[in-house]
Amino acid sequence: MSKRKKRQKIKIIIATIFALIVVVVGALANFIAPHDPNATNAMLMRKAPSAEYLFGTDNMGRCVLSRVLDGARITLASTFLLVAISFLVGIIIGMLCGYYGGIVDTILMRIADLMLAFPQMVVAIAVAGILGGGIFGAMIALGITMWTGFARLARSHTLSIKNEPYITAAKLNGKNGMQIIFGHIFPNIVENVLVNALTQIGTTMIGLAGLSFLGLGVTAPQAEWGSMISEGRAYLQLAPWVVIFPAIAIIITIIIFNYLGDVVMEYRRMD
Amino acid sequence: MNDREIVLSGKELHKSFGPKENRRHILKGVSFELYSGEILGIVGESGSGKSTLLKLICGIEKPDSGELIHRGKEYTGIGPEKTGKFLQMIFQDAYGSFDPRMSMEKSLKEGVGVSEEEMVKVIEEVGLTKDLLSRRPRHLSGGQCQRMSVARALLGQADILMCDEVTSALDVTSQAQVVKMIEDVRNKEDVSILFVSHDLALVSNLCDRVMVIKEGEVVDYGETKTVINNPTSEYTKKLLDSVIDI
Repeated sequence: MSKRKKRQKIKIIIATIFALIVVVVGALANFIAPHDPNATNAMLMRKAPSAEYLFGTDNMGRCVLSRVLDGARITLASTFLLVAISFLVGIIIGMLCGYYGGIVDTILMRIADLMLAFPQMVVAIAVAGILGGGIFGAMIALGITMWTGFARLARSHTLSIKNEPYITAAKLNGKNGMQIIFGHIFPNIVENVLVNALTQIGTTMIGLAGLSFLGLGVTAPQAEWGSMISEGRAYLQLAPWVVIFPAIAIIITIIIFNYLGDVVMEYRRMD
Repeated sequence: MNDREIVLSGKELHKSFGPKENRRHILKGVSFELYSGEILGIVGESGSGKSTLLKLICGIEKPDSGELIHRGKEYTGIGPEKTGKFLQMIFQDAYGSFDPRMSMEKSLKEGVGVSEEEMVKVIEEVGLTKDLLSRRPRHLSGGQCQRMSVARALLGQADILMCDEVTSALDVTSQAQVVKMIEDVRNKEDVSILFVSHDLALVSNLCDRVMVIKEGEVVDYGETKTVINNPTSEYTKKLLDSVIDI
């Protein structure tokens, strides 16, 4: 292994460790949160960070640290679920279109083109507006456009390998279309599409936080980073910590996952 | 030769590609017969239609017109999932003919219900050892990989082997080994072989009969000795001249 590749591997390990820390914090939020994230206390409104309330309190006297931790759970779970569903739907549609081609391919790819013609957030706001508030509405709103990226990528990879001799050999060994798609094409393209999914985590997180910020994501009193920033901006000058800490959480998490996606992609380019 | 059974034949095969206004005729009425136990060489330069002919034979492409017949039964238009029961292919790109993510064992077993013993027997027949079965294609040499593809073809128990430029990507030593192995396979197994190559010298040494294709048309066809000694087309003469020049 070359020195450059070794260095890249170390970068992947470091990024993975940080990503795992974020995931573990999100998963154990209920256990490590120092206070009940939804417990209000009029006596503790907008308290500055202190030893007891490390990130201070918000306008309703709720512990900001506990809410940031609780928000991590919702933000990460909804992001991973959305990316995973979009990935699965996209890769399956992409492989079917790439392998079989024909009219179904034409129709699905034109739909994908249509989705890509508009900025993702504009479509998401419109769809989320129609569906109303709630995290599932926000996920559907973002997912409607997200699968197209995975589908196009999976389709192009499928097109590039579907005429390889090993696919012909599999056909001559009696394998049908579905057996070839899931037995040969999927294992050979999944890594490339998965790396792309990794780079989508940060973008999705921003999307979900953005919709929550606009009131189209999670509903009160559930903590979510975007909605916390939205709530806190009304009294930004009085209690800036209510906005600053969830914003820092978003920035750090996105940097970690984008960095992980980038280093994994770079490592694969070295192969 | 003509007393032997015809295993495979193609009649007036036509194939064209591209849009109507700019259609390219790749095959223009190609007919041939493959007899039981013989090696039929198909020779021609790049773009002459050799590979397209193989694609038609194994069902990857459908002919525009013409017939393909296996042991008296027409199978024109049938896909490779079904033609694989009676024909197998050995590819030019030996590495590319195996799934890079699969072990050799898994690739060889795919689609054919063979026991471990049968597989090891065939592996040894092609001059390989069973320890190579756990490896992936990139961990084999080009020659080993090509032998593996011959083993796979034999495990498929087809009565026709199609060899598509099988030696062109190999070094001289491996080429000789693979050619020797193909001869052995023909002598030991009950198979007929279609041997596609642009190397007339190799074909003249290996094949019983030869068919020369130029721009999708058969320009010479017959017993190898006859074609070599009395070529009827200018193109075959030129090919022979180039062999002598070397």
